[in-house]
Amino acid sequence: MKPTAVAVPSSKFTFRLRPIRLAEFLALALLIVAMGLPLFFLLVGSFNLAPPGKAAVYGVNNWVNAFTDPGTLGALWMSFLLSVVRLIPAMILSVLVAWLIARTDMPGGRTVESFCWIAYFVPDFPLTLAWILLLDPSFGFLNTAAKGLPFIDVPLFNPYSFWGIVWVHTSTSGIWFKVMLLVPVFRRLGASLEEAARVAGANTATMLRRITLPVLAPMILAVSVLSFIRGLQSFNTELLLGTPAGIYVYSTRIYDYLQREPRAYGEATALGSVFLLVLGILLFFYWKYLSGDKKFTVVTGQGYSTLRVKLGKWRYAALGGCLLYIAVMMILPLLFLVIGSFMRRYGFFGIAAPFTLAHWQNLFSDPIFFVALKNSLIIASVTALGGILLYSVIAYLLVSRRTVTKPWLESLCWIPHVLPGILLSLGVLWLFLSTPLRTLLYGTVWGIALALILADSPVTTQAFKAGLLQLGADLEEAARVSGASWAYTYRRILLPLLAPIAAAVGLMNFGSALTSISTPVLLYSHQSRPLAILLLEYSFTGELERAAALGLLITVIIGAMMIAGRKLGLRLAGSS
Amino acid sequence: MKRIGSVLFLILGLWYVPAVAQTQGSDKEWQEALAAAKKEGKVVVAGSPDPVMRNAVIPKFTERYGIPIEFIAGRSSQIVSRVQTERSSGIYNVDVFLAGPDTTANELYGDKLIDPLKPLLILPDVVDGSNWKDGKVWFLDPEERFVVRPFSSVASLLFINTEHVKPEELRSIKDLLNPKWRGKISTEDPTTTGAGANMAARLYNQVGEEFVKNLYIDQKPVRTRDRRQMSDWLARGTQPICLNCREDDVRPLIKDGFRILEIFELDGVPGTINGSPWLLSVANRAPHPKAAQVFANWILSKEGLGIYARGYGSATARIDIDESYLKSGNIPKRGVKYFDDTAWQWIVTGRREYREKAWKVLKVK
Repeated sequence: MKPTAVAVPSSKFTFRLRPIRLAEFLALALLIVAMGLPLFFLLVGSFNLAPPGKAAVYGVNNWVNAFTDPGTLGALWMSFLLSVVRLIPAMILSVLVAWLIARTDMPGGRTVESFCWIAYFVPDFPLTLAWILLLDPSFGFLNTAAKGLPFIDVPLFNPYSFWGIVWVHTSTSGIWFKVMLLVPVFRRLGASLEEAARVAGANTATMLRRITLPVLAPMILAVSVLSFIRGLQSFNTELLLGTPAGIYVYSTRIYDYLQREPRAYGEATALGSVFLLVLGILLFFYWKYLSGDKKFTVVTGQGYSTLRVKLGKWRYAALGGCLLYIAVMMILPLLFLVIGSFMRRYGFFGIAAPFTLAHWQNLFSDPIFFVALKNSLIIASVTALGGILLYSVIAYLLVSRRTVTKPWLESLCWIPHVLPGILLSLGVLWLFLSTPLRTLLYGTVWGIALALILADSPVTTQAFKAGLLQLGADLEEAARVSGASWAYTYRRILLPLLAPIAAAVGLMNFGSALTSISTPVLLYSHQSRPLAILLLEYSFTGELERAAALGLLITVIIGAMMIAGRKLGLRLAGSS
Repeated sequence: MKRIGSVLFLILGLWYVPAVAQTQGSDKEWQEALAAAKKEGKVVVAGSPDPVMRNAVIPKFTERYGIPIEFIAGRSSQIVSRVQTERSSGIYNVDVFLAGPDTTANELYGDKLIDPLKPLLILPDVVDGSNWKDGKVWFLDPEERFVVRPFSSVASLLFINTEHVKPEELRSIKDLLNPKWRGKISTEDPTTTGAGANMAARLYNQVGEEFVKNLYIDQKPVRTRDRRQMSDWLARGTQPICLNCREDDVRPLIKDGFRILEIFELDGVPGTINGSPWLLSVANRAPHPKAAQVFANWILSKEGLGIYARGYGSATARIDIDESYLKSGNIPKRGVKYFDDTAWQWIVTGRREYREKAWKVLKVK
């Protein structure tokens, strides 16, 4: 047999597009279009000096106006101060509560976690009003009760103050969001490291400080960055409590520009750019920390145990502390909110026949209500599922050593978090209108869902990323050695391991989609109006009681979904 | 005598024949417009999220003509921003605007987003000048063609809770500067665009700079941006004097027995009329032009305007709408000279100029 020469193409000239590379470039293209373009539109628009509808004239006046405004620096300082003051204790408490729920034998951990979930989704506007009813110096329930004591003759509490704002924030947004994100990663933490620490003679505090917290640092840092920026953008509470006390924050200044006629989007974007700067600085340190020699892997292919720390006699004290915090920060104002929805006038107990069912009846008889409910459920479901699918892939790319565009992907993912909601909505509106898909996206529930998926990118990506950082590379390598493709490995190995995090962020995104106002506000039409916009309309026209009823209803829907979703998540977690 | 009779007959005939012909012409035109509107299938109206619109106007109009209304509700600024962005991409979604005076004059009219409305008014009930207090439909714009002002009520100057403030304690506008009321007055935040700043502009214009300084700085009024907060404070008496409370927020309080008194004028500041809650205009390149025409005519008719006026509590520019449900103070009196807060020139230049002056006093840029 005569040997045959076969021409083998040189591998140097072969370009083989691997699935992961394809996924990377697709993700990058999507993020550039979906996140980068709206930001680009906004930044270009901020240099346009012409009034809306007129031919563009470019210059820097909008930026000069925004930053020479005498109130701007003071407001920025106040925002930083408020954000820092409430971030530090809230982070410490959140880590502690998440640890107690996920890593210790504290009884009732699941109940405490459920309360955190419910608390997060109670609309903050009526909840702030509930705190006013409790704390107002003249008529507040707690101040009135305190004045009954013999040694107190001045009001003890004043919500219209710096500390009043900090307190109410601790109730409306304090630890709930952070605990929700931290518990799944605490759960995923295998006990082997902690056990090794114990064997080496470390006590619980040393183990927490030297093992648990450093291993969970990516998520703790991500949650801190998210919370800090969220704190800077906080708005509703400051508007209700800050204005009477003359406390103005940065987001109020942006709001002012957006309320002017004609609206000053240029100045608002210029001010919003400070958030970009802050994010840039925080991300720099975040990446620097993560890019060192540190290892965060806790789940490997070599066995995995989740033994909990035994608290002994302190377990009931821990539960008592958690329940006390929940009772004061959540149950008390929520109770007032429930009562308020049944009052003829919210908080006025002295009027004749103060209680009524009229607001609930009016809510259900509003012809728009059921249409809005259907829209909201579609939008929230699509947002939750879409977010899980998209951002689990992107997070995988972010932690994969094979990804070459990591910094770009990561930066683009953070953009929605630094743009004030209404500006993001405007950017997305421009984006939708400039694509051929506008008939499918503009004014439809699908378009709103897509915008909400974009808005969810920072939280969802970071949650998945933190979860993936805990998984050892050997899991994937074992699958690959066994002949599994990347897609198969992702679907059968990684995704099930991420199930608890997927369930958590899916539910969180479902809830956010139900309550988000600023994202859909420029994108909805008559047919696609969601419940949150209806809530805004009720608040805008002073129908506070009907707004409270609707807010509670949204909370109940989220509560029901949470129970179903958590059961599913736990089942998946169990099967994985 | 016979001759006089013939002349009279001729004069009557000259008046009657065109009048009947015009009415029949209008009727025919109206029926044609109605048929075309039904073919268009719907009308898209943009306006404030007003419960009257949702609960009364939309069901009645749909029942009357079988044409559904798509209502885009939101703050005027958000609606205009959305419309302008849509238009820059060639999308024309809105047919009719029910917007506030500033948005209408400075943006809808100023940016040429609206069409002349005058030629579209054909319903006999609307075009008949005898149905209007001024003898004709009240067009507000300089050309008297684009923007209709259907409402004109005497605006409240302030509200007081008489359990805490006796009416005789407030005779003159300067009485507000009594140290007794320091910290007892609430106002919508005057440092940003809105009712609070508009009031400051008006007081600057009518009473002067020193008064604005004394009232808004020295008297330490409590500021808010939530209208409900002000009416709650008024009812509880924590701030028993309210500069920017809204009549429709206060009405339920009075019904619940709170002793709230609406004050329309004080010595030193004349009574004011305004066109609240909205001005009417139709979008140019409207997607449903005939439906827009039918809606615009109906909302100005006795039925349409009557429903809105009763629900909102405003006096209209029509003569044939029952106003017995209003307080007498709300209805402009003949022969009295009022300051018109919705006058075109005041909206376009005056208010802005005085607002800037007031902001300078309040050290706001």
